[in-house]
Amino acid sequence: MLVEEKTKINFLMVVTNEEMLEMKVKNINFLFPIVEYSVGFLKTFSLKEIHTPNSFVYINRILDTKSIQNLKKELKNINKNANILGICFTDLGILKLIEDECLSLQLIYMQNHNTTNATSINYYLEYVDSVLISTDITLEEINCILNKAKKPLVVPYFSLVDAMYSRRTLLTNYQENFHLELKNMSVLREEISNNDFLAIENEYGTVFYQKKFIDYRNITHKNILYRYVNPLGLEKSTLEKILMGEKHIESDTGFLFKETFYRLREDGK
Amino acid sequence: MKTPELLAPAGDLEKLRIAFLYGADAVYLAGKKYGLRANANNFTLEELEEAVKYAHSILKKIYVTVNILFHEKELKGLEDYLKELDRINVDAIIVSDILVIKKAKELNLKLEVHISTQASILNGEAGLFYKKLGATRLVLAREASLEDIKTIKKATGLELECFIHGAMCTSFSGRCVLSNYCTGRDANRGGCAQICRWTFKDKEHQEIFSMTPKDLNLIQYIKNMMLAGVNSFKVEGRMRGIYYIATVILVYRRILDKIKAETLKEGEIRYFLDILNRCANRDSTSQFIEKLPGKDEQYFLGRQEVSNQDFLGIVLFYDIENEMVTIEQRNYFKVGDVVEFFGPLFETFTYKIEEIFDENGITIDIVNHPKTVVKLKMKRKLSPFDMMRIKVFDKQDYL
Repeated sequence: MLVEEKTKINFLMVVTNEEMLEMKVKNINFLFPIVEYSVGFLKTFSLKEIHTPNSFVYINRILDTKSIQNLKKELKNINKNANILGICFTDLGILKLIEDECLSLQLIYMQNHNTTNATSINYYLEYVDSVLISTDITLEEINCILNKAKKPLVVPYFSLVDAMYSRRTLLTNYQENFHLELKNMSVLREEISNNDFLAIENEYGTVFYQKKFIDYRNITHKNILYRYVNPLGLEKSTLEKILMGEKHIESDTGFLFKETFYRLREDGK
Repeated sequence: MKTPELLAPAGDLEKLRIAFLYGADAVYLAGKKYGLRANANNFTLEELEEAVKYAHSILKKIYVTVNILFHEKELKGLEDYLKELDRINVDAIIVSDILVIKKAKELNLKLEVHISTQASILNGEAGLFYKKLGATRLVLAREASLEDIKTIKKATGLELECFIHGAMCTSFSGRCVLSNYCTGRDANRGGCAQICRWTFKDKEHQEIFSMTPKDLNLIQYIKNMMLAGVNSFKVEGRMRGIYYIATVILVYRRILDKIKAETLKEGEIRYFLDILNRCANRDSTSQFIEKLPGKDEQYFLGRQEVSNQDFLGIVLFYDIENEMVTIEQRNYFKVGDVVEFFGPLFETFTYKIEEIFDENGITIDIVNHPKTVVKLKMKRKLSPFDMMRIKVFDKQDYL
């Protein structure tokens, strides 16, 4: 049985390789990282390369002046591609571009770290159609947000999640310093906590992903628009199994059941 | 050209007074709640009120950081806190979470709203989003170039505040939760454990390295930044000590005043740069202002931080009649040392220690116990909070 028949989940899935586009799972809206305007991906696409209906473009860079000016020119043509349903973005400056060009697109705000409470999310929803809920909060907090949100939200499903985004070319800098062959992807271990991070770099910066995929598949709620999937590094066959509900995939529940803290003295830590 | 504001960090009331004394026009600080240095001393509401009254009495300003990213449980009490800040006449709050901006507007508060660097603003369009919400000032991302600054100013017309000195995050500020994963401490609610300064191992090459950025220092770009439209020059370091605050703020005060008076010489910039580098414990660079930083703007092998004992003492009292200055010791000094005094009201001068007297007037040769109070003969009138340091650089060599 295909997953959508069982649960009616709508996926919003980052296209990390072209093979994924052939997947048999239905109800997938593909999310294409756009060349020059995205970070943290090995494969990026131009707007002209988007041939799958109901797709989204993914612009997850924090944009400097020159980049946003270039993007403005590029967005003028976005409605010419009928396959593009919307934009998922991080930089709030994009709202102005959309307004200026009077573009009719579904807008999804995706800044993984500042969507941590319902009030803020509802404020963002005054400007966009949906928002990606942060992965920095607990299941209880996620449910609270879903209960209070004015519009259906995007919730991670099974995904890599970003832990850091730097404008610096951190891998190049390190590799040049140690006279190593230049590579744009590395697995780095923080030695005290033994946490592994997958670092991916392009000329616009470096993204550190928590190496383990988070598994939020058990979250169900009527106020969900899409389930977000960043399957970077997963093979198509594995990904299909995940979307069909196979349980035995190495993963983590992130902060769902592990609340973070910040005051050392009051917590006695 | 209007002289921009010099904005200093203040971790407590003593540092606040030092910052103002040494030339800051405004300070930023945090209350006990909602700031990104959750484990610093920070200010109680009573201390905040005292700080505001003091600042306003000398025509200076206080900005309070309310810049965490809120989880549900932090929301309780926020409105009351904002109303209290408004009641005690805080000049502005520095915010990152959209809900604080909206709340400030809904509550019809008279205080200004400044958008924190945590919002990572690098373009005018993003600035306009916050302008529509009611922000009066943008604290730009530290990744902003001179070109970005000019364009954002032109596009928004808002006041712009830029960091010019101090520590840098490896990441865009606000876009890092390494601390959450490695320690459970939430970086965006004030618990950052600075994981980017820890060491990582490349699992393929087995190399061990850190990603620590060198500090930011934009002393050579101040004039161009003024021309680009920067209204406030911000120094990082709410956890730093009074010597650091005094030294850094005084240098930038002098730079700004000399630019305004059109008397700043190239040699002076080099002299001031050496003073700044000496009082920090890391090397500094100009980072993103002109180009993308590369490997030379980072440290790779752990913390290469050097502390020095340059700060020798702080002036407590000056006895005009007997021409004696009373000093509280901070680091070892002795008879024969060549030192220098600096303070906000005079040009730094050199002094050779010929005699040292203890509190009873008995001569001693060395002062090696912290906070020992001693006296020196001094013809030049000094004031409380002037400081004595080791003499390392001679300004004349630079001119």
